[in-house]
Amino acid sequence: MDVLHNLALGFAVALTWQNLMYCAIGCTVGTLVGLLPGLGPLATISILLPLTYSIPTGGALIMLAGIYYGAQYGDSVSAITMKIPHASSIVACIDGYQMTLKGQTGLALFTAGVSSFIGGTVAIVVLSFFAPMLGEVAFLFGPADYCALMLVGFVCVSFVTTGSLLNGMAMCLIGVLLGQIGTDVNSGTPRFTMDFPFLAEGVGLVSIALGCFGIAEITKNLDNKDERTPFNGKIKLMPTWAQFKRIIPSALRGSVIGSFLGILPGGGPVIAQFAAYAVDKKVSKYKHEIGSGAIEGVAGQAAADEAAARTSFIPLMSIGIPENAVMALMMAAFIIKGIQPGPNMIAGHPDLFWGLVASMWVGNCFLLILNVPLVRYWLSVFKIPYSVLFPSILFFCCIGTFSVNNNLNDIFVTAVFGFLGYVFLRLELDAAPLMLGFILGPMLEENFRRALLLNRGQFTAFFTRPISGTLLGLIGIFIAWQVVAFFLQARNRTAPA
Amino acid sequence: MAISLAFGLQSLRYSIGQFSRAGPGLFPLLVSSLLFLIGLISVVRSRFVEHVHLAFNMKNIAIILASLCGFAVISEYLNMIAGIAFMVFCASFAGTSSYSVVRNLKIAAGLIAVALAFQKLLGFNLPLY
Repeated sequence: MDVLHNLALGFAVALTWQNLMYCAIGCTVGTLVGLLPGLGPLATISILLPLTYSIPTGGALIMLAGIYYGAQYGDSVSAITMKIPHASSIVACIDGYQMTLKGQTGLALFTAGVSSFIGGTVAIVVLSFFAPMLGEVAFLFGPADYCALMLVGFVCVSFVTTGSLLNGMAMCLIGVLLGQIGTDVNSGTPRFTMDFPFLAEGVGLVSIALGCFGIAEITKNLDNKDERTPFNGKIKLMPTWAQFKRIIPSALRGSVIGSFLGILPGGGPVIAQFAAYAVDKKVSKYKHEIGSGAIEGVAGQAAADEAAARTSFIPLMSIGIPENAVMALMMAAFIIKGIQPGPNMIAGHPDLFWGLVASMWVGNCFLLILNVPLVRYWLSVFKIPYSVLFPSILFFCCIGTFSVNNNLNDIFVTAVFGFLGYVFLRLELDAAPLMLGFILGPMLEENFRRALLLNRGQFTAFFTRPISGTLLGLIGIFIAWQVVAFFLQARNRTAPA
Repeated sequence: MAISLAFGLQSLRYSIGQFSRAGPGLFPLLVSSLLFLIGLISVVRSRFVEHVHLAFNMKNIAIILASLCGFAVISEYLNMIAGIAFMVFCASFAGTSSYSVVRNLKIAAGLIAVALAFQKLLGFNLPLY
């Protein structure tokens, strides 16, 4: 009953007209800035943080949270319509863009919006009931467990990738190696920088995402010579009842997966998208369609991404530990406003904590109300002839790349990855696993080295700890099952009819 | 295999250390060895599958990359407005059958206006002029 009382307090705070306005402004501005290629939630919050300086504490935090999930939704719009993702929308590129090519952009965007709403709602229930308790879960994970978790993420790649398992693993490992470029955090040794000072901080995620997806896709479309016209003038926005029934189970599965993985530091939200997609590809009734533009391919990952974004607030607000760069920025915003996130936050500032929790749900409603009618405007991008559209996309790619570090050298890096992305595209190699490897690679190395250091170089720690042992066991079973399935299929093929 | 060799051979130049005190070269060496192994399996497997012709069109990708690099160089040594104009005029050579100077002028003017809005309204640090 305490939770209901607290939620009532939260809604009383969130539903004041000032806070409703801040939430609406945050969601709208976040969505609009997030739409720009290359500008993910982190860049969007950084740019818009000064907007909140002159706003009262509660309103400022509600607005920042609105900017965060608004930017995430905006990010998925650019991934679905133009195949230009950020970390939070890599998987949206796969089936979302395939739906765009089939002329179902409206349906894909609607599915992403509704699934995000479902994911956000489930995560808020989790946040309300289990926030203080779940904050402790992150403490149960040691370095070896994180390594095992990231390996689970890599195994999910085998489901996500559109080519063979080997190609997916190879792309993933290339991503891990690209993540090694830069200064080694332990020894300070510059690695693979080719003596370029701007590579000392590593290759930017934005450069790889825009190069491998954006530039490569533009060039592929230009090679096809046809004007790309997936938008045929009729907007099919609302799904049929049969399609809607396909969204719900997938979104609920994604919500549960995202709610749990979002709590874990580091790559939790990224792994959540891949894990939800992999689960859908395995258990969905329409699994054979996933990868070629299925609703489930958009719904599950969107719900997981949104749920993970919400529950990633749990470690910050319950134990005061930001689990990723976006949360670190949110923590800075809390501190600027004189609030110290941590165990005392819930007891010391219940109005702020529960107000923020309630505003997340209000923000979800705003996003749904805002984006369903706006889908028509997002679709209007396809009315623009491609000869006009592609220089504009190139421009946004350049501005997005430059604005991360205010460094023009990053544009050269984007160009290099544009070429590589084009080669990958022609070789039919999926770039999504490369992104996963790139994001998780540095964290994997850090935890791998830390685990070995703590266990004096013994690998047994990876198998004897309950969490890592279980995860590695599951990976082993999965690989064995894949090998058996391969041989069974091969035998069936060679068997006489 | 080429990528794994590039990273693997380079990582040998860094300290490898021991498992209990891993040097900066250990992890990249392990990963590139694994990648090499996968590359090897792929090469062996490729001997048994049908060969497929790859359609590379170097013209378009070369033009797009030239427009990106030109944008960066001109923005560095002149200003970003000139860089945007160059990018639009250069990129339009790719893929299109009809090249229109007037259309490119309109696109460039529109994008320069957007860049100015980014600079003035969102506080982007763009070296426009």
